[in-house]
Formats: sequence, structure tokens, C-alpha cells
Amino acid sequence: MTIDPLGSGHEGSGPVLDVQDLRTEIAVSNGAVHAVDGVSFTVNRGELLGVVGESGCGKTMTALSIMRLLPAGGEIAGGRVLLGGEDLAAMSDREIRKVRGKRIGMVFQDPMTSLNPTIQIGRQVAEPLKLHTDLSAQQINDRVIEVLELVGLPQPAKRLSAFPHELSGGMRQRVMIARALACDPELLIADEPTTALDVTIQQQILELIDDLRSRLGMAVILVTHDLGVIAGRADRVAVMYAGRIVEVTDTNRLFGNPRHPYTEALFEALPENAAETGDKLYSIPGLPPDLVAPPVGCRFAARCRYATDQCRAEDPPLRGDIAGHDYACFFPVGDPEMQSATQTHQIRRHDTGSTENGVAESVREAKPLLEVKHLVKTFPITAGAVLRRKVGNVSAIADVSFTVADGETFGLVGESGCGKTTIGRSIVGMEKADSGAIRIDGTEFTSLHGRELRQRQRDTQLIFQDAYASLDPRMRVGSILAEPLVIHGVGTRASRTERVNELLGEVGLPRSAADRYPHEFSGGQRQRIGLARALALQPKLIVADEPVSALDVSIQAQILNLMSDLRRRHGLTYVFISHDLSVVRYLANTIGVMYLGKLVEIGPAEAVYNRPHHPYTRGLIDTIPVADPWASRAKNEDGVRGELPSAVNPPSGCRFRTRCPFAQEICAKEEPRLKSYGTEGHRAACHFPLEVGVGAAAGDGMAASN
Amino acid sequence: MTTPPQPEQLQPIPDLVPGAAATKPLEQQDQPVRPMWRMVLQVFLQNKLAVVGLGVVVFFVLFCFLGPLIYHSNQVLSNLRTADLPPGSPGFPLGSDDVGFDELGRLMVGGQSALEIGLAAAAIATVFGSLWGAVAGYLGGWVDAVMMRIVDTFLAIPSLFLVLLLASIITPTEGLLILVIAFSAWLGPARLVRGETLSLRTRDYVQAVKMMGGGNRRAILRHILPNAIGTIVVNATFQVADAILTLAALTFLGFGIAPPHADWGGMLSNGTNFTSNGYWWMIIWPGLCIVLIVVAFNFLGDALRDAFEVRLRKR
Amino acid sequence: MTGYIIRRVLQSLLVVILVSIVTFLLTDLLPGGPARAILGPKATAQQIQDFIHANGYDRPLPVQYGIWVNNILHGNFGYSVKLNQSVGDLIVDRLPKTIVLMAISIGVALIIAVPLGIYQARRRNTIGDYTVTTLSFIFYAMPSFLLGLLLVLVFSTDLGWFSPTAPQTGNIGQILSQFNSLVLPVATLALITIATFSRYMRSSVMENLAQEYVRTALANGATDRRVMVVHVLRNALIPIATLLGLSLPALVAGAAITESVFNYPGMGYTFINEAEVRDYPTILGIALVISVATVIGSLLADIAYAALDPRVKYS
Repeated sequence: MTIDPLGSGHEGSGPVLDVQDLRTEIAVSNGAVHAVDGVSFTVNRGELLGVVGESGCGKTMTALSIMRLLPAGGEIAGGRVLLGGEDLAAMSDREIRKVRGKRIGMVFQDPMTSLNPTIQIGRQVAEPLKLHTDLSAQQINDRVIEVLELVGLPQPAKRLSAFPHELSGGMRQRVMIARALACDPELLIADEPTTALDVTIQQQILELIDDLRSRLGMAVILVTHDLGVIAGRADRVAVMYAGRIVEVTDTNRLFGNPRHPYTEALFEALPENAAETGDKLYSIPGLPPDLVAPPVGCRFAARCRYATDQCRAEDPPLRGDIAGHDYACFFPVGDPEMQSATQTHQIRRHDTGSTENGVAESVREAKPLLEVKHLVKTFPITAGAVLRRKVGNVSAIADVSFTVADGETFGLVGESGCGKTTIGRSIVGMEKADSGAIRIDGTEFTSLHGRELRQRQRDTQLIFQDAYASLDPRMRVGSILAEPLVIHGVGTRASRTERVNELLGEVGLPRSAADRYPHEFSGGQRQRIGLARALALQPKLIVADEPVSALDVSIQAQILNLMSDLRRRHGLTYVFISHDLSVVRYLANTIGVMYLGKLVEIGPAEAVYNRPHHPYTRGLIDTIPVADPWASRAKNEDGVRGELPSAVNPPSGCRFRTRCPFAQEICAKEEPRLKSYGTEGHRAACHFPLEVGVGAAAGDGMAASN
Repeated sequence: MTTPPQPEQLQPIPDLVPGAAATKPLEQQDQPVRPMWRMVLQVFLQNKLAVVGLGVVVFFVLFCFLGPLIYHSNQVLSNLRTADLPPGSPGFPLGSDDVGFDELGRLMVGGQSALEIGLAAAAIATVFGSLWGAVAGYLGGWVDAVMMRIVDTFLAIPSLFLVLLLASIITPTEGLLILVIAFSAWLGPARLVRGETLSLRTRDYVQAVKMMGGGNRRAILRHILPNAIGTIVVNATFQVADAILTLAALTFLGFGIAPPHADWGGMLSNGTNFTSNGYWWMIIWPGLCIVLIVVAFNFLGDALRDAFEVRLRKR
Repeated sequence: MTGYIIRRVLQSLLVVILVSIVTFLLTDLLPGGPARAILGPKATAQQIQDFIHANGYDRPLPVQYGIWVNNILHGNFGYSVKLNQSVGDLIVDRLPKTIVLMAISIGVALIIAVPLGIYQARRRNTIGDYTVTTLSFIFYAMPSFLLGLLLVLVFSTDLGWFSPTAPQTGNIGQILSQFNSLVLPVATLALITIATFSRYMRSSVMENLAQEYVRTALANGATDRRVMVVHVLRNALIPIATLLGLSLPALVAGAAITESVFNYPGMGYTFINEAEVRDYPTILGIALVISVATVIGSLLADIAYAALDPRVKYS
């Protein structure tokens, strides 16, 4: 892109943005939330700064403070925000408007709601140009097409009059980015730009932002909760906790040698770091502090395993032993001498001499508990004015078969719309399959009706993704946990109360929880309640549909650990559904990979992860953001291209062929069958399977990168 | 007289502010458990309009039902010697009407039927309509189609015409008027609750009932209706206001209970004959009563809506 | 979108058929049977016998319905003994007058309510907002007959500015030319409509201001004014079409009472007058036509909504 219509070359030395001691407060009924409390950082030209932290840490408020777009009641209480030497915090409304969209562009999380639903995208991208430039209508039109092309929207000239709902999620986010870039800003702030998107699309958007930064020489602030997202992209990372930056340094150093105990704990809580060993995850106890009245001293002290009285009394300053690595801690962890990133990396790196974890071996012999045979489910799409004739089918599950052994954890992975949730719901009897069989403990259950079906349903329970949504807000937790017992007429009122107490104990909640309502609990606690309810009828099989994807890393670790404990204690079998391959890999013995209603690969977890045979599995592994900068960079070039085709008329033959780099004629004509490879039980459905070695993914990739 | 279909939105949403720790973790909660209705009540009482509304309603209940026990007046025998007296006349603080009935006493008696019929019609309409809507929405398919076409049909006939038609066929008594008004009023809650049910039935906690092996009855009665209670209660208060207005319109147009039965609409209608004589009190008093009670119920409904929404926002 | 419109049209057609069945069945329910009800109490037994036979009231119900529908499709709504006129002719004369009154009132109401709602949303929780809110509550709670009477008392009896009665005769052109007589009826109907619409507009604008796309526009450097005019206004206005459709039955009822108060010879005035004297052919005919007109009005509102909102494609 050569045209610089604004003539606003980004020259000059020094940081593009210099935030000094920023304080933002938000008025609430019981005081003011100190959402951002003394945050300082700089971003240089062409630099990508990652701001990472869990929900409520103030990262988004920091981003909004820079733009002065705080929600009602929000106010910058102190500090300076210097953009090229000018203090944004002190500007008049009129002046700051000239900065927004012109010198700073911003991209938000959800592109669907962030674009105006009733205005054509061409006009929306043109808005900043209309506001900030004197370009003629024709020039604006040209520039809009140019930026849309820049962000990779196919055939931009034809799409100008499209409305946001006519585009896919990934394309909408590209439009958002184009809108932010239209005036060629010095700084781009991206607030969780990929959280609402699928992994393969996430990869594409991150790549785009990275690419635009180097091409346009912008500074970028990437705000995210996902350590994996920043690992491969950011130059420097600021870790936030409870309204403050607790550690800031360049990416390699942070990942190689974290000094703040919070950063260290975050890494230890990541399932991918314990995937090979199957060890218990480290989980940070407790919850972040209430920012209306933040604690004295170090804000992390209450949850820190190294905290002393000094930590609880004094506020540790943000400083470091070496230049460019600051942390706010009196008793830093890690190695103070470490200078070079690669060195540190080798120390922190896990031994990837991958063996399959202990649990997997022991269950191999067990009898199958769940058998899914040739399961098919299609949802008709109807149209027509009078008679709702069928115009097509969404093929949600297309002939899927697998077995899950007693005591095993089966992980089902795939992007949204691949049919994994429908399979889960079919297993617990919430969805009726069109054909095929589901057997639990040898009993066929798709043909059952009424009482018999209900009786069988006791054996299988479901845990929902959004625990809060799955708990009736008008019921006390005690009644929620007793409901399955009441439905099945189990026990007396007294014995049910006893059982409820027992269940609360099982999931680590106090008895007093029974008298409270779901909204009084935190996200992790609600998922514990969901688990307790699933356990109430002593099922054999629990289907967990994305049980941790809505949770922060530290809370996610608590729930994953609890699920492992419960499995051991009760001999449970899990079907664990997730889009997050690293979580599945940590928990599951066997992994099944789904694509557009088809099971494309299945096998022992380590075999599938380390030696994938299907190109889709390989691509999926490559697209998952891994919280390891070396591994991330090593595999940046791969991934799954393009967008998920519609399941209404899925591609003929191999459904993946439209996005497969190896696809040939036969792939369109003939549907590949699952064929066995190497390790026992490892099967993939591909005409041109990846050879072992070629497909050696993450593990070997990491080694090679050194 | 429908109510605006969109719920009002409150502006700042403090509970959604990150870091505000709206849900204190269990360990940090020291105050005793507060039941949900108390939270709703608390928010409700913070609303000044709500308190005003409640005050007005309580006043009218006392005025209409206890008032006649304390303040005695002649409402049976017409007496032309005391006719057309302006307010402030001895023994007639609010004046008298064209046949000598005391206005103040007549307002008390007339309000009884307004409150009784308004509340009873709203109650019947709300209960029946909510069940109808919940069943239609939850079962879906052709059951829903049939049930909702019935609602559409009666909704298409403007309620006043429907009510007047029915009132012209029957000879009105209080019980029949309740039924007639409820017959046109249940359609609103039916449609509203159906809409709510359509969204509630896809919620995970309703789906969870299926997963646990529970039946439709349980899903509707234990989960859907309790969760639609906010919508239902709020609508019920508007229903009372609307029923009182409908009744006033009916009696104003002469389709009420035959004299000497008193009601505000009838008083108003009678008063219109004397506007040219300058007997303003025959119109103002009953008019004021109708407006006050209807506004009061509207205040209540609005405040309840806010109270329920605040509760639902706490997540 | 065409699919949606076709389906909506067919749905409306079904409702119209159902409404016709209900109206037809009401004829059968009339006191003393349809013949007595239609011919009036003075008819002899022989006359009634002849009438029953001639009109097929001794045939099975479905056949009767068929005859009835056939008559109506030919514009034959029966004959009003009381008015000594064919009901069909009566309706042809009265319906346009009602439509004119409603169209003017709704137009006036929209022109005032929309800016008012925007003003309230922008200046929410200020004195201005509270004043308008209180006023709209009062007008909303005020029965149209009371409001009409008060307007007459103030602007006609006291001030003598406007005529207390609506235009009485003539065609639409003549009615429109009698501006002085139109003011009060239009004001009555418009004020009540404004109360509903401005409240809706206020919450709709506020709801849209809280949307994320507003933040995006601000992030682009848009001014508050631009956000309101370019982004919010359009999205807040689209659902007004739906609101209009939903409140049509209530508006028709309000218009009926207003017509009655001002003696405006439209459908409502005629209906109320004839209902009092139990002129069943007339009131059933009017009820049917009014219902069908309401269904058509709602249908048009829905089609307008579909045309305005690019998100509406199917269902």
C-alpha cells in the first residue's frame, strides 16, 4: 500500500504512546471501582505490545481510557496519556475526536455488535474518512476499496453495499479492522479482536494484524486474556492484575523467565504445559480482589504462595534487575541472572520426550461404555410461504461412529458448527438422531421412549458451557441439585437434603451454598454447581460441552483438576467437547477430531496430537495459539486457510477438500473412509494422509525451532 | 390501550463494570442470605414514583372501601333540593350531582366497582393468558400455530368493539363485566408470555430439565413461568390500569351496570350533560379519580419492571 | 423478504377468515336469535318466519356461513332497520372519515413524539425529561373521552378558539377544509398517541445508545450529534413501524371514542350509537370491517418494517 492520502507520515523518534500513571475510576452504587490504578507503559512505532490479564484486571478499561471511550460513570482520575507528546487525557472533547479514528484506530471484540447492523459496510468504513479528511466522494470510495483489499476482503468493490449480517464473523472483523485503518493511524488498539472467532479464523486475523503492523509501521496494542494469542505475535508483553501492571518485558523473556509469581502461576495453570505429564494443574486459589476497596500492599498477596507480611503491608514498586524487565514483587521468582531469552527458554522448556500418559494405558483394556454407531442428524431448513417445504438440510452429524471405554476420557474437538455439540446432546438424549445407534453399557437407547428412556438418561448427564445459563436463576442451589432426584423420585425430602450436602462437599463448596441463588456465585463456582448436579444421579457417563471455555485460566485449572479428581473417585467416563485442543489433550485419553459433521481423525491423544494424519488435524494444531513464543513462531506459516463452508450443502467427497492444501480430484469424488495408522486405534479419513514425520507437529516443531 | 412493547433500559450498568465484583465470592459474603423478593422490594422502594404509585393505590383502597363507613352520604334517594350544589356547600364538600347525590360519597362507592372489576379482570386475564402463552410457546409446532391464530383473531377485533358488542348482547352485572373485560384482555399476556417462553425454552436450564428426564409440565410450571414472572407481574399491573380504563369507557358510553349503581365512568358521562351549565365538578372529580388510579398502576408497573431488571442483571 | 411478505399476507388472510367466522357466530348468539335481533321487537311471527327462510337461517351452520360470506363479498352487509339504510352504503360513507381522522392524528403524533423521545433520551434524568415523562404518563392514563371533554371545556367553552364538534357532513375534501372543527378531535387522539410513542422512542433511543456500534462510531471520531443522526436514529425508528402495527387496535378504539365525543360521523361513532339501540346488522358489519382494516393496517406495518430493516430476510 503506497498511497498515504493523509500525508501523515509516522516519523519521529520516541514512543508513539506513553502512558504515565493512568488511573481510571468507574462510579458504582457502593463507591468507585479503581479499574485502572497507576498503569504506565510505552509503545513504540512498529511495535506490538501485548496486554494480558484475566477478566476484570483492567486491561480493557486501560484501552478505553486511552481513547477516552469509558462507559457511563467512568472517568480518568489521574495520569497522562501522551500520543506523540500530546496528552490525550487533558484534551477537550473536540480535540480528542480528531484523534479517534484518525491517529488511533480501535478494533473491538465482537464484530457483529460493533458494526451498525443497518448501514452498508462501505459507508461504515468510509465514516472516519468523511470525518477526518477532505477527500472527495470518489477518493473516499477508492480508499475504502483499498483498505478493504488491504485487510483481505475478497472482491471489496462488490461488497461495499453489503450489510454486516451478510458477512461471516471473520470477514466482519476484517471490516472492523479496515474501518480502524482507513485513516492510516499511528496506533491500533485491538481489544480481544479474536475472542469471538473460531481458532482457524483467529489465526488469520492475528496474522493480518501482525502483517499490517509491519507493512504500515503502526504501533499496535493487543489486549487479550489468552497467553497463546500474544506469544507468537507480541514484541513486548504487559501482564495486568487487579488494575495494575505486575510485570512487563519483551515476550521471550516473559515466557522464558517470568519473575512475578502471578505470571508464573498463570503459566503453570495452562493445560498445555502439563499435557505430556498429565500432572495436576497449578491453580491459583481464591479470586481477584474487589477493586472498589483494593487491598493494601501487593494485590496478589492473598493468592500468592510466596507472600509474606511485607507483601500484605507494602506496595511493591514496578522495577527490575535488568533493563527492560520490570515486575512488581518483593520476592521475584525465576532467575535474576538470565539475560538471554533463548537460554532461559531451554530451562523452562518441558521435556517433550512424549510418552502417553499413565491413565491412558490402564483403560485400554476396559470394555466399551459408550458406543456411537453411524450416527446421522440433519436439521431441515424450510422455506416457502404456505407449506414449509424443505429446501435443504444442515448436515450436523454425518455418519459418525466411535466407542468410549469405561473410565476413559474421550475428547471431541472441532470448530463451531462441526457437530460436536449435537453429538453431545444426542448422547444425553436431548436430541434425537435421524439414524444410527447410541449404546450405553450395551443398551441401545435411541429406540427407547418415555419411562425407559428417562430411566436410561440417569446414566448420562451433561455439563453446559455457560454454567450460569444452565442454572435456573430463580431456584436456590439446594433445589437445583435436588431437582434430578425429584424428577426420578429418588429418596425422601430428608435424604435428598443429605445428598445435596454430600454433592456440595464433592465439588468443594460449603453447605451454606444450598441456600443461595446462582447469581451469588462466581463463574468457577457455578461450574462446580453444574458438576454437582450432573453427579446427583450417579451417572456412568458425563458429557461436558466446553465446560471451561468461558472461564479464566486460573479458574479453568481448578475445574479441570476437579473433573480429574471426580473421575478417579467415581470411576466416571467423560466425553469432553471443546474447541480447545490443548485442554482436550491435557484431559483426554482419546481424541476425536470433527470437521463439518464428520469424524476425520480419532486415536490416542498423544498420537493424534504429535503424529496427526489428517491435514485438518494438523492445521488445527498449527492454528491453536500456544503460550510459547518459540513454538508459535516456528509454526506461524501453517494453519487452516479460508473459511468453513456451509453445512447446508457440504462439499462432495471429502468435506475438508475446499480448504485442504493437498486436495486432488479424487477428494471431490470419493469420500475417504477412516483407515488405521501406526498406533493402535489411530485412524484418519484422508486420501492423502500425512506421513509420520511430515506431520510431526508441535512437539518436534518446538525442538526444531531452537 | 396497550402498553409500549419495549422494556425501558436503565442507563449506567454498574454491575457489568469489570472489577466491580458484583458477585462477591461466597467466602467474602458475611451478610445473611437475602431472598430474591427482598432484593426486588428494596430496589422497588428506592424508586420514588413507585412509592407514590403505591401510596395512591393504598389511598384509593381505603377511600373506597373504608371511606363509606366513616363518611355517610345519601346515594339512594334523589333529592332535587340538594341538586347541582357546587363544592364547599354545607354537607357537600365536593358538591352534588343533578339529582342531589353527594359527589364525595358517590366517588367512594363508584371506586369500589372500578377497583373490584379492574383487579379481578386483570387477575383472570393474566393467569389465563400467561398459561396459554407459555403452553403455546413451549410446545411450539402446530399447537402453537393454532393457539396463536386464535389470539390473533381476537386481537384483530379492536378490544373496545369486542367489549361493546358483548356488552350489548348481555345485560351487564359486575361478574359479567369482569368476564367481558378479561375476555378481551387475556390476549396481551398470552402474546407477551409466549414471546418470553420462546426465548426461555432455549435456555440451558430449561434444556437441562430434558437432560434430567423431566417432563413438559415441570419445564413450564417450575422453570418457564417462574422466570417469566417479572414480565407477568409487570404486565398485570398495566392490565389493572387498562381494565379500569376499559370499564370507564364502557360505563361512559352507557354499557355499565344500570343505575342507581354508581361508577366513575357513569358519573363522568352524566356530567357531560351539564358542561354548558358550568358544573365543572361533575366532570373533574371522577376524571381525576380515573387518571390518578391509572397513573398509579402505571407507576407501579414501571417501577416493578426496573426492579426485576436490576435483579436479572446481577450475574 | 418476498417469502416473508407472502407468508405474512397468507397469515393475515387466515386471521380475516377466522374473524369472519367469529362475527358470523356472534350473529347466531344474538338475543332472540338473528331474525328477531335484526328485524327488531316489532316484527310479527310471520315476518320472522319469512326472514329465517329467506336468509337461510333454517339451513345448517356451514351453509349459513357460506351464504353470509357470499353476501358480504358482494357488498351486502344486510339492512339496518333502525337507520333505514343498507349497512354496506353506510360503511362506504363512514370508513373513509375514520381513516382520515386517524391518519391525520397519527401523522401529527409521530411528528411530535419522535423528536420528543430523542430529546428525552439525550437529556435523560433532567427536569425536562421528568416533565415530559410525567405529562406522558398523565395523557397515557387519561381516557380519551375525558381528554376530549377537557379540551372542549378549555378551548371551546372557555376560550372559544375551536369548535366543540367535529365536521359533520360532506366528503373528505370538505372535512379537511373545516380546520377549526378538526383541531380538537385530532388533538385528543394525537395527545394520547404521543404519550405512548414518545415513551417508546425514549427507551428505544437509549437502548441503541448503549449498543457497541455506537462505541465504534465514537472510536472513529464521530460527534454525539452524528452518532444520533447517522447511527442511532435509524435503528431506533425502525421498530416504530412494529409499534404502530401493534397499537393499531388501541388507536382504533381511541378514535371510536373520540368520534363519539365530538359527534364525528365515522365508524366508531356509528358503532357506539347503534350498539346502544341494538342495531345488530350495523354493529356486526362495522366490527367486521374494522377488524379487517386493522389486520390490513398491521400487515402494512410489518411489511414496512421488513422493508426498512435489512436484517429481515426470512421469518
